[in-house]
Amino acid sequence: MLEHVYLIPLIPLVVSFIILLAAPEDPHSPMPWVGIAATGWCLVQSSAIFYGAATGALHLPYQMDWSWFSFGASVGGKPFLYDMPIGVLIDGPAAVMLVVVCLVSFLVQVYSLAYMHGDTRFKRYYAYLSFFTASMLGLVVSSNLLVTFCCWELVGFSSYILIGFWFERAEPAYAAKKAFITTKLGDLGLYVALLLIFSLVGSFQIPQIAQFVERGYMPAGAATAIGLGLLCGAAGKSAQFPLFIWLPDAMEGPTPVSALIHAATMVAAGIYLVAKCYFIFAASPVAMFAVAWAGALTALLAATMALVCYDIKRVLAFSTVSQLGFMMCALGCWGYTAGLFHLTTHAAFKALLFLCAGSVIHAVHTNDMRLMGNLSKKMPFTALATFVGTCAIAGIPFLSGWYSKDMILERVYEYDPHLFLILALSAVLTAFYMFRLVFLTFTGTERDLERYRHAHESPWTITVPLGILAVLSIFSGALLEHNHLFEHLVHFEPPAGLAPRLHEAPPGLGWVVFAAVACAILFSYRLYGGHDFRLAEDLKRRLAPVFNLLERRYYLDEIFLALVDLGDRSARLAFWVDSEVIDRIFVDGWGLLTLLAAQLGQLFDTLFIDRMVDETGGLSVSVGGALRWLVRRGMVQEYLLWTAAVLSTLAFLIAWR
Amino acid sequence: MIETIAFYCMAAVALGGAVLVVSLRNTVHSALALGLSLAGVAGLFACLGADFLFAGQLLIYVGGIAILIVFVVMLLGRTSDLHLRQVNEQWAAALLVCAITGAGLWRLGGLYRAATSSVPATATTRSIGLLMLGDYALPFELISLVLLAALLGAVFFSRKDIS
Amino acid sequence: MSLSLGHYLVLGAALFLIGLFGALTRRNVISILMSIELMFNAANINLAAFNHYLHPAAVTGMTVALFVITIAAAEVVVGLALVLAIYRNSATAYVEDFHLLKG
Repeated sequence: MLEHVYLIPLIPLVVSFIILLAAPEDPHSPMPWVGIAATGWCLVQSSAIFYGAATGALHLPYQMDWSWFSFGASVGGKPFLYDMPIGVLIDGPAAVMLVVVCLVSFLVQVYSLAYMHGDTRFKRYYAYLSFFTASMLGLVVSSNLLVTFCCWELVGFSSYILIGFWFERAEPAYAAKKAFITTKLGDLGLYVALLLIFSLVGSFQIPQIAQFVERGYMPAGAATAIGLGLLCGAAGKSAQFPLFIWLPDAMEGPTPVSALIHAATMVAAGIYLVAKCYFIFAASPVAMFAVAWAGALTALLAATMALVCYDIKRVLAFSTVSQLGFMMCALGCWGYTAGLFHLTTHAAFKALLFLCAGSVIHAVHTNDMRLMGNLSKKMPFTALATFVGTCAIAGIPFLSGWYSKDMILERVYEYDPHLFLILALSAVLTAFYMFRLVFLTFTGTERDLERYRHAHESPWTITVPLGILAVLSIFSGALLEHNHLFEHLVHFEPPAGLAPRLHEAPPGLGWVVFAAVACAILFSYRLYGGHDFRLAEDLKRRLAPVFNLLERRYYLDEIFLALVDLGDRSARLAFWVDSEVIDRIFVDGWGLLTLLAAQLGQLFDTLFIDRMVDETGGLSVSVGGALRWLVRRGMVQEYLLWTAAVLSTLAFLIAWR
Repeated sequence: MIETIAFYCMAAVALGGAVLVVSLRNTVHSALALGLSLAGVAGLFACLGADFLFAGQLLIYVGGIAILIVFVVMLLGRTSDLHLRQVNEQWAAALLVCAITGAGLWRLGGLYRAATSSVPATATTRSIGLLMLGDYALPFELISLVLLAALLGAVFFSRKDIS
Repeated sequence: MSLSLGHYLVLGAALFLIGLFGALTRRNVISILMSIELMFNAANINLAAFNHYLHPAAVTGMTVALFVITIAAAEVVVGLALVLAIYRNSATAYVEDFHLLKG
């Protein structure tokens, strides 16, 4: 079955075009079932592969390549064949990611049946979803970094068309542009890294690059540069500081899209890329350091910004950014397994949380939590699912999130306790604002009576995926940890001498963190669990400047726009310099010089040349006149004398030659 | 030996006469000196073994042309002229020109100066006659035309009513 | 010493130069004509000398000298006729008085 693994990305691609082209646009079109069926098939295949890998029936890593094109060149005088194959490379992380992407995509597509029902572009939505799924799967299975990059860009494009799905409104259009351009900024770094890789290694094939690095052919400086470039790209896609500004705004897209792309899969692409190219980071301590601190910083900053949001999806967006920071930090602290483990569990509970939010929004037709309240009475299943997800993300023991978060915290402590502190603080804040979300939405008194009256539980196409994800959120951690299954699939052997255990993690570290988390949950209940929010309002007034800063997202949007403005201004300045100064001096000036030279030439011509011509004529006239002087008297003998003189002189001269 | 003496005598006569031609004030004397010089030249022709040329020179030049010139000089001359200076102002320049020409001629002749000949003289009349009527028949006829033209011209110019 | 071509050439050159001097300096027209006759004779001497020394068997030089004599005669005749005609007009035989070509 591994021989047909290349079909897994291809079938959704074909299906997306079929859906796009084969039927007219219709709010009640049956085409989505084609997409769901295709994704379902992919899910079955991926699960089979994962099961085979887990039980050891299939041997990983599996690689199969087709020759795309090759070209010969001369390298150092000798002919060298550059090979550019397309192929698949299935190793542990790839197998896991296949299941994650297919599962979430499948559940989201089922969920969207009810959520997007009646939308004018219902059919096209499914085409876009299938296209995204195909791109993401292509990114996951590709063995050629260049093809991965192409899929990376395609995933970005899918995100753009899906965020801007309701482009008639200004905000989604703007958010889509912002997402695309911000990730593109990160992609510059990724592109430079790819160029460096190819120039050094001569190939884009991941196993070959790994071999190259392991044998020590890659200079440390180059490894650092490549690592930083990859980090740049990952920072763009996985919304690390400072390129995360697009993710909160990306919530303008439909909620299932947010669940699929901006919770579970696309944003995980950056983490996945870092993991795929982990050998490069292993070769460069500087890049590892950058990864760890970028992740930690992101985790903390995003957690702080989530504290002040009233938009339910924005809270989840910031929490996604924060959790991605966790994963990135884990990867930067040699916690390869921990980071990818958290990616897997996070996919489940974050998708769950987004779909629950979607369910709520679908019921009350608003995102603003200030207009919700006491919805657990009206939507008990959704409330329960949300509660399960929140517990998972907060790290309540024995749920999936607890396993992965604990693993991360342990690894990070062993690398650097300061980073551990930052992450621990972020975890505490996470618990606080997630439970704030739960309390504000589902408990207390209803704040908008009209909406409350119309709210009702969502249909089965919504609640069943919620249920499945809730179950996964509870048990996936335990299942994957059983017999260290995940660790056997996903592990990285560091080269000798690296990844030392610098600081021994004290036992019970996780319980200490849990104690802090419990306190945070209690504090959150105290502020938001009751029926009035006097204490919350009071705190908000007291800490108004802090609130302001957080609400303005540390003014990062303004900073970026200022940078863009700066770029615009410098471009205008450069243009002005070019057209006014350089063109004037060099182009016009040159023209003027030429004109001047021409005029000088003309002057010279008139003054000298023409005069010379005239003078020559005058000279002829003068000579003629002089000669006439010789013969002025009319004396024949004088003529004779002259003739004789000239002839004799000539004869003399000829005789003397 | 005798040839050398003959040459120098004839040369002296020719050159002496020539000098007299260009220096005498009396034009009639000058014309007669011309006749003398021409005779000397005829003698030189004889030294060179050109017998027909010697005879022809004497007949035509001395007996014809020199006499003619004497007649015309007498026709045109006045007694008052006999003591006038006959050389004009540009004699110095003329001398210079002659000197330069002389130098040139000296150089040109350098190649041939050494040639000598010891062939005894033979009668040339017959050969000249054969040449005149053979190879040089055309120039011979043309010469007669020239003479005719000269004759006609002379007669024409000598007419009384010419303006 | 025995005679060589050079002697005759020098003689011819001397005669020619004397004639040239006379042609350039004598005031009387007929004197000029006489000087020209001297120059013709110098040429004739050269011709005969070359004929005798370089091509003794041929008579070409002498024949040409004969032609020269003929031409000289014709020329003198015409010249004298001209002089007579001019003398009839201007009663002078001096060449310095003939400046109609003046200017």
